[in-house]
Amino acid sequence: MYRSLFNILSGRHTRQGLWGLPLLVALVISLWLTVQTTEFATAENLFNLVAQAMPLIIAAIGQLVVVLIGGLDLSVGSVISFTTAVLALDQPAILLIPAVFVLAAFIGLINGLAITRFNVHPIIATLSTQYIVLGITRILRPVSGGTVPEIVIGAVSGSFLGIPYPVFWGIVVILAAWKLLYGSRYGLHLFAIGGGIASGAESAARNFGVSDRRNIILAYVICSCFAAVAGVFLAGRIVSGDPNVGLLFELDTVTAVALGGTQLSGGIGSLHGTVIGALVMALLANGMNLANVSPFVQTAIKGGILLAVVGLQSRKKMGL
Amino acid sequence: MAAVLANPIARRLLRIPPSYFVFLVLLATLWIARPNMLNLNVMGIFIRQIVPLGILVLGQLVVMRVKSIDLSGGGIILLINYFISSGSFPGASLPFFVGLALATGLVIGLFNGFMVGSRRVSAVIVTLAVSIILVGLVQFLSSGNPPGDVPKLFNDLYNTKFLSVPTPVLFWILLTAAVSLLLSQTVFGRYVASVGENAEAAHFSGVPVQRTVILAHTLAGLIAAIAALVQTGSIAVGSVRVGLDLPILAVAATILGGVVFGRGDGGVWGPFFGALCFALLFVVMTVLGIDEPGKLIAQGVIILGAAIFYGVRVRAP
Repeated sequence: MYRSLFNILSGRHTRQGLWGLPLLVALVISLWLTVQTTEFATAENLFNLVAQAMPLIIAAIGQLVVVLIGGLDLSVGSVISFTTAVLALDQPAILLIPAVFVLAAFIGLINGLAITRFNVHPIIATLSTQYIVLGITRILRPVSGGTVPEIVIGAVSGSFLGIPYPVFWGIVVILAAWKLLYGSRYGLHLFAIGGGIASGAESAARNFGVSDRRNIILAYVICSCFAAVAGVFLAGRIVSGDPNVGLLFELDTVTAVALGGTQLSGGIGSLHGTVIGALVMALLANGMNLANVSPFVQTAIKGGILLAVVGLQSRKKMGL
Repeated sequence: MAAVLANPIARRLLRIPPSYFVFLVLLATLWIARPNMLNLNVMGIFIRQIVPLGILVLGQLVVMRVKSIDLSGGGIILLINYFISSGSFPGASLPFFVGLALATGLVIGLFNGFMVGSRRVSAVIVTLAVSIILVGLVQFLSSGNPPGDVPKLFNDLYNTKFLSVPTPVLFWILLTAAVSLLLSQTVFGRYVASVGENAEAAHFSGVPVQRTVILAHTLAGLIAAIAALVQTGSIAVGSVRVGLDLPILAVAATILGGVVFGRGDGGVWGPFFGALCFALLFVVMTVLGIDEPGKLIAQGVIILGAAIFYGVRVRAP
């Protein structure tokens, strides 16, 4: 009992990474906010918090899938902006919503193909798609504006039995990701490929008959699709298309993933850790907003957290 | 495809950095579209504008040769621009600012190098995080507004000419030659080449891999500081947005120049022409009436295209 508790808190002997500690941090921050401010522990603020955290949680789960195979997707932020821009195109929803996912899957496909077929480093491949997608987004919508379909707005802002819809979004997305990572053959293959890459034996999974190329391509497609879901959610929240709404999301998702104990070198990580990591980020943002911290300082603090969290991870490879 | 790649002539062609081809294509495009722009004076002005990028490329090239990357250049440029333009050091002389800038670059570069080399953190994450921390701090210190004016001397120096060639361009060429000599003639240069080729083999051959990576990052920080001084001279005012897209462009120019993480056939002059390509590209796009979004797309396509070009070449038998 004590031993397993120790393992959770130290992240040793586990495939799930260190997720117990961030959970403690989250609890401490919440407790501190409850004591310090009167507004924090109200149902309204908590539901608000969930709604604020939801895009990051969704996008971070997508990032997790890619990080598990030792990759990184820097195009997440621009896919989110792109999704909101497409949704605000003034077309019927029945056309726009499928289109958003087809386009996102296509972006993921380009990432995956460039990485697996053309030997491009994941960071370079996704960096270039980030720029291409950002450029297309700016053409579609130079400044924020337009209106997204009613159904998208309704799906985000309503409530059922007193519980706002964002909570249901979270439940559905987390259950789907749980099934994907822990209840499917694909999830097992992800951990297998990532574990091989992390230990320097890049062909380990392939030698056991797991097609790494196809699975890696699929991982990038899934990541982009999760980013698109986050984009749809955000579009519903801001009611318009915004070319800058996804700004810095790629770094926030990486921070959330790393904060949740997932090793960026691949193979070790967990869904619950990532969700906790994203919640910690949202709690911090909420706390800093309540404490009136300048948004510029908030950005700097986020960068510091990223640096600290990733700096504490050890890995063999040097460089990229 | 494989048969074409195995052809000796095709393989020889694939070894030439893409920047030379792209440079020729852009030159031809400009020549067809606006022949009258191709004179020394006009070109001198355009090339002078990308000197900060060209200098930043030199640092990027060194870190990319050791299979690392440095995206903190934007933050360094912004911070140094803030130091010079905010008036926090009233009455300071030019040597003081140069010294301050170099010290700033040195410290940040050393930090990057320590995190990447000793702590073995992913270089992308470290340098991006450093950059957003610096950008956030500068924007906070200046409350989101441009700080102030730059001492006049900076812009005066930037505008001088030597034998009808703008001094910044001359400075850039000299610095490129210096880095070229550093990489080809010194022990450090050999270390960089061997670490990039195969870090493990280099380690077992007695090459101080960790020290080389740290030094490469420190050098990149120093060079970014020099780029910041030139950039500050060129815009002549304080800014909270200056140079933020330069690191990505520097990566693009370096890849275009044939240096991709480790092995580099492009040497130093391949990336040099990579930076020149961007000078021409911006001219061509302005001439053709393509604006900001188009430039973003072009940057992305160029990075991806050059990286694919390299990836195909590696896989060729």
